[in-house]
This record gives sequence, structure tokens and C-alpha cells, in this order.
Amino acid sequence: MIGVTRAIAASIRRSVVAVALAGTVLGGCASGDTGAAEVWDPLETPNRFIFSINRAVDVMAFRPLAVMYRDLVPERAQTGVRNVLDNLGEPVTAINEVFQGDPNRAATTMARFLVNSTIGVAGIFDVATSLGLERTKEDFGKTIGLWAGVEPENGGFYLMLPAYGPSNARDGTGLMMDYLVDPFRILTFNLSVNWDYYQIARYGMNAVDYRSRTIFALDDLEKNSVDYYAALRSAYTQNRADQIREKREKTNARAELERRDNLALVR
Amino acid sequence: MSKFASRRVVLQLAATVAICAALPVVHPAFAADPAQLVQNTAQQVIEIIKTKTGAERQAAILGVLQTRFDMPAMGRSALGRYWNQATEQERARFLKAVATAEAKAYSERFGQYGGQTLTIGKVTPGANGLTMVDSRLNQTSGQPIKIEWEIRNDRIIDVRVEGVSMVMTRRADFSSYIQSKGGQIEPLVSELEARAAR
Repeated sequence: MIGVTRAIAASIRRSVVAVALAGTVLGGCASGDTGAAEVWDPLETPNRFIFSINRAVDVMAFRPLAVMYRDLVPERAQTGVRNVLDNLGEPVTAINEVFQGDPNRAATTMARFLVNSTIGVAGIFDVATSLGLERTKEDFGKTIGLWAGVEPENGGFYLMLPAYGPSNARDGTGLMMDYLVDPFRILTFNLSVNWDYYQIARYGMNAVDYRSRTIFALDDLEKNSVDYYAALRSAYTQNRADQIREKREKTNARAELERRDNLALVR
Repeated sequence: MSKFASRRVVLQLAATVAICAALPVVHPAFAADPAQLVQNTAQQVIEIIKTKTGAERQAAILGVLQTRFDMPAMGRSALGRYWNQATEQERARFLKAVATAEAKAYSERFGQYGGQTLTIGKVTPGANGLTMVDSRLNQTSGQPIKIEWEIRNDRIIDVRVEGVSMVMTRRADFSSYIQSKGGQIEPLVSELEARAAR
């Protein structure tokens, strides 16, 4: 028990550092505002270098694996795997929804997690959706983007992460935060069983599943661009900005409704 | 005299009224419904994918691009600030190559018709005669895909798939390529022409 508490405390300490880092990073992007059309990419040379390595690994190993997974594994098994992985990700989504100022949605996400973990047999079957509990997927990059007072196209400097792929200062920080707050990682920290293999298997399966779903879009982008790196950088930035903008509009709409409700109460 | 004058006034009034009354009738025929434009375009593309293959399909898709999309405006926008630098001849070659490349991409993108349908959502009129049409592409398996259409003067000027604008992505792609070639437009045009011919 003490070990678990200590692990959580350590995580929180590290999180504070990450938040401080995020603050610096976001403070930095205000001055580096490059607008919507062009992505701020001061690390372009190292980024392109990492991108070329990522692509070589992808072409030789990762993409073929993802293609085999997509074409050879029965569709129902793929759905089951995806459901299990999504279910393991629900607590992180719920934590983010709390930070996004939406505790009601966080409660729905936790209800989904409890229903699917039990009735849905460890998350294999998504029973919650058929009960009317819709799935959401949130991450810390979106949470930072929601509260940052800048255009969502501005995520700080663009960053090509080894193996992971396109990211930026905002989403990279978010990725680290999601890793730090993940209850599965924290709770399995000091137990006698070695959970590392399970975690590695989980991240590995997540990667294969995600890659198998992006084969079509990425092949298309690569084939129809003259500079794949630049096209991907633009597409990634726009896609993330769209997700954050959607989030902001939803929050604004709710705030507006609450304001009107309060006015009605006053009257 | 006054009788004639009054008759003239009456005639003028009648003419004015007639013109005013005629305007709302003329107007809808002139500016087609944006939602209808998107729906018709989607229907046309689905029909082409179902019935045509190969070169025939590519030609038909090119026809759709030229009649439903404002390709010159999209091309100009995709070239961004380099449009002004380009010569008249380069512009013409660029627009032709982009249209061919785009038609080729679209005809290869969909192998066979997989039962997708397009549901039109909210239509939002914006500034400068711009209209946004939201839609969802429903697939037989998996999540529906969010597609937004930008329309101006009865022509589609941009398509955004999950927030990714076709024109904006092309612009980022082209401008990076031009910069890597020392700010010259000619290499990009030749590259696009070579790809279109392939």
C-alpha cells in the first residue's frame, strides 16, 4: 500500500514538472505564432531525419505487420482487441474530461469502464454503447489545447517522435501526461507480478491496431504528395486543430446554455 | 397630357413591380441550393464508381471536378503566394496538371463501391458568399467520416475530411517542395506533369 502511495506521489511530482514544462512550451508558442497555413517547425532538419528512419522501419516491418493484422485476423477478433484496448484507455479519458471541466462526461466514461470491464468481459464486448453510453476519446494534448488561449492550429513547435510519428510541443507534453496519470501504469508499479510485459503488449497492440486503421489514409497522402513530410505535417496539424476546435465549440455552447439558465433563474 | 403622364407612371410602377416580383423567382434558379449541390456531386461520384473503371472512370471524375468544383480557384489557392510569381504559361500548365493528378487520385482512391452513403448535415452561410455544408460519410463498418464542403458561386472550392482541408494540405505540400527547389515553380509543374502522365 505504501509502495503504491509512493508511486503515485512520485508520479505527481513528475507531473508537476511536466505541467511547468507545458507552461513554458505554451508561453513559447505565443511568440512563435505562425498561423494556420504554415506549421512552425524549427526542428525541421532533425525531424526529417527521424521521419526517414520511421519510414524505413514502417516500410520494412510495421506496415506489413499492420496489413497482415488487417487482412488475416478475423474482423470480430479485431473488434474485440480494439474494445479491450479502448477499455483500458477509458480511465485516462475520464481524467482528461475532469480536467476539461466536464465531470458529468467523466462519470459517463467511468460508467462505461465499469460496465464493459464486468458485463463486457474485461472490455471485449462494448456493452455500454448499446446501453446508450457513447464512447469518447480524450487526451492531454486536447485538454491543453482546450484551455490554451491560442489558435488550435498552433500547438507549439512541430515534433517528429521516433516510432510514434507526428506530434508537437502540445501533444508531446500531452502524451507524457497521459502516460503519467494512467492508473494501470501506476497501480501495477510495485506489485510482485511483473506487469511490464503486459504493458509492452498493450502498447504494442495499440500501435498495430492504430497503424492498421491508418493504412488507407497514409498511403493515399504519400502517393498524392510531392513532399510527404510537409503534407503529413499539415494534415496532422489540421486534424488535431479540428478535434480541439470541436471541443471548444461544445464547451462554449454548454457555457452559453448555463449562462442562459442562470439568467432565467435570476428573472 | 397629364393623363399620358400618369399612364407612364403607372406603367413604370407596373414594370418595377414586375421586376421585383420576378427577382425572387429568378434568384433560386441562379443560386442553387448548396446542400443539393453536394448531394448531387456525391450521387454522381458513387454512380461513376459503380459503373466505370480505369481510364473511363478517370475521365468521368475529371468531368465532375470541372463541372462541380472551381478548379482554377482551388489551384490558385493551392499555389498560395507562388501564384503571383508564376508566368501565364506556368499557371495554365499547373492548373491542367493538378486537375489531372486530382482526377487520377480520386479514381484510384475508391477501388470498388463499398456501400458508403453521404448524409448531409448543417448548412452554414458565411462571409463573402461562402457556404459550409457539413456531412457524414457512413461506412459499412467503423465510424462515419466527417466531411465538410466549402461552396462559393455554386462551385465546391474546398473539401475537409476530418478537418483536413484538401487545398491547405496541397498548399503546404507544394510550397515546401518549391522551397526545396530554391523557390522555383518550374520543377513542381514538371513533377506534377510527369505524375499525371504516369
